[in-house]
Amino acid sequence: MTGPVSNAEGRAETGQTRRDCLKTAALAGAAFAVPTIVPASALGRDGTVAPSEKIVMAGIGLGPRGQYVLDWMSPEKDVRFVAIADVQKSRRDEVKAKIDKHNGDQDCKTYADFEEMLATRPDIDAVLIATGDRWHSQAAIRAMRLGKDVYSEKPSSMTVAEGRAVVETAKRYGRVYQTGTQRLSEGPFRQIIELSRQGKLGKIHTVRAHIAPWDSADLSYAWLPEEPLPPKDELNWDAWLGGCPWRPFNSSYTKGGWRGHYDFHTSCIGEWGAHTFAQGQAGIDALDTSAVEYGYVKNVSGDGMVTTFASGVKMILQREGWRGSCGMTFEGTEGSASCADGYEKPDVSSPALAAEGERLLAEYVEKTGKPMNHVRDFFNCVKSRQETVANPEVMHRTMSTVHAANVCMWLRRDVQFDPVREEFVGDAEANRFLTRAQRAPWII
Amino acid sequence: MKTKTAVLAGAALLAASSSALAQKASQSAGSRKRKSQDELIEALQKPDATRKDKADALRVLAQVGDGECLKVVAPLLKDEDLADMARYAIEPIPDPAVDDALRAVVAEATGRPLVGAIGSLGVRRDAKAVPALAAKLGDSDAQVAIAAAKSLGCIGNAAAAQALQDALPKATGFAQAAVVEGLFRAAESLAAQKQCQAAAGLYDALAKSSPLDCTKKVAAERAEALRKSS
Repeated sequence: MTGPVSNAEGRAETGQTRRDCLKTAALAGAAFAVPTIVPASALGRDGTVAPSEKIVMAGIGLGPRGQYVLDWMSPEKDVRFVAIADVQKSRRDEVKAKIDKHNGDQDCKTYADFEEMLATRPDIDAVLIATGDRWHSQAAIRAMRLGKDVYSEKPSSMTVAEGRAVVETAKRYGRVYQTGTQRLSEGPFRQIIELSRQGKLGKIHTVRAHIAPWDSADLSYAWLPEEPLPPKDELNWDAWLGGCPWRPFNSSYTKGGWRGHYDFHTSCIGEWGAHTFAQGQAGIDALDTSAVEYGYVKNVSGDGMVTTFASGVKMILQREGWRGSCGMTFEGTEGSASCADGYEKPDVSSPALAAEGERLLAEYVEKTGKPMNHVRDFFNCVKSRQETVANPEVMHRTMSTVHAANVCMWLRRDVQFDPVREEFVGDAEANRFLTRAQRAPWII
Repeated sequence: MKTKTAVLAGAALLAASSSALAQKASQSAGSRKRKSQDELIEALQKPDATRKDKADALRVLAQVGDGECLKVVAPLLKDEDLADMARYAIEPIPDPAVDDALRAVVAEATGRPLVGAIGSLGVRRDAKAVPALAAKLGDSDAQVAIAAAKSLGCIGNAAAAQALQDALPKATGFAQAAVVEGLFRAAESLAAQKQCQAAAGLYDALAKSSPLDCTKKVAAERAEALRKSS
């Protein structure tokens, strides 16, 4: 709690930015050329990116998925990870070793408290957040308040209210934010999104969205059996729980076993719906809204649930129907297009649509400048201050569809959601799920 | 992504095993028995009720409870073990008596129960809490001051805004960041109430004194936009 928050924009005592300082140092080296030798790499003349122009990153809560994204981000030439914060020491050490190996030094710093890291490291420009679901929006909001840009793994909110808070925080602090729905930046998926958006399938009447075929929408309130609490430096259980209701420690939670628990997870619907609803809503130009009607289905997963948008388009939740994960299908009056992980090309209803999809993809990249690489899009936007493809509003609106679908399953009846007021329509019982009281002191 | 399939398969296996464990539970968000408030209150009052029993009852009260449950839940708001779950139960209940109970905690409690009560009063936008919360802006417990600043911002009336404006030059560190956040929230609240000049004044204060350059720019733009629109 001692961080110089006033320095969180990267301003040193002189009022210069970190980059200004490094440039000044390099220029001073050039002016006093002997005996100081400035490596060409420091100035970026050998094809590398000068340190002063690199995006300085830190990780927050990088488990297996987070380290996968770390491995994706680290090779980018204009990116350098310098720090890792995690409530688990084993994870801190593991990620530090990975970062140090990549950087070829021992300079990666480790922190148990991510807010302390962010407040005391004005050199950090942006963070990669890959905690469990419960901390995604909480950490993103806190990082943005300290002036950092955010790449957050999905599902990126636990409630409708949390998602709205992410949107407003990004606006207040002028921060770049990307949620990790990376298929919005993958060629085959983007092809069918554009085929749908641009009317090549005729009038779209149905979108099919893949939900995780394991697990359930029926989340548990159970506590796992209590185990001895590890030393705080090994694992800070209080901080691991964050704003969630207290429960006794069990090591399973910290090894991925948090899934399936109401306090920590957004169910099988959120697990993949965070991706597939974003993909589906992108294809029907509904990224600024959410579905308005949700039809209850009598099973534990939500398989077959029909959600309906104000436009009349139906989005159906499905556990099966694709040859890979996170699949989606658009069905229109003149054709259909489908894609999932592992598809080299989309499945389309006519050969002409295949060629058209490739053309539309090229046109999309040309017109928008968006790369077919989700993390690259984030880094480009950190530099340009433009909107990411999966900006806060995209995250919030698509996660609101996830949350409303979950509430439909939990109440075991149909619900209606008003995307303008961001509440259920005339439904006090459902509106109790819009927010959850946070445990002190983790109140955003 | 070459490793994507492997990662997903691993996640699926992990999730499947954890889920199997979780499914053994008798209670869940979807399958829980619809308990009446009377049953839940009775469960809370049982002499042999465990912390888990009470937490479960409080969790379901958050979904079905009304002001009637306060007689049993309000005393728990100062209980170190159960204060958070007690707030969890009553924070969404639309009854002014909940605000009265939370304000009573602010007057008497310390530490996390106090921080929690302050936070809930902000979520509930309880205007009657402004004097008590304003007094907490200078609290020696940084978490209390931080919570007060954010909650005053949520309440967002003229009195709350004035308290935050007064606190901005005095606060430091994380408390200062919370005051900045509070001022943004208050300005947005005032603007939503068509008090554009007052909102613009708060943005002016942020544009002048916020410790973060990025917020200065946003605040200046918002102040200008409000003046043009009014």
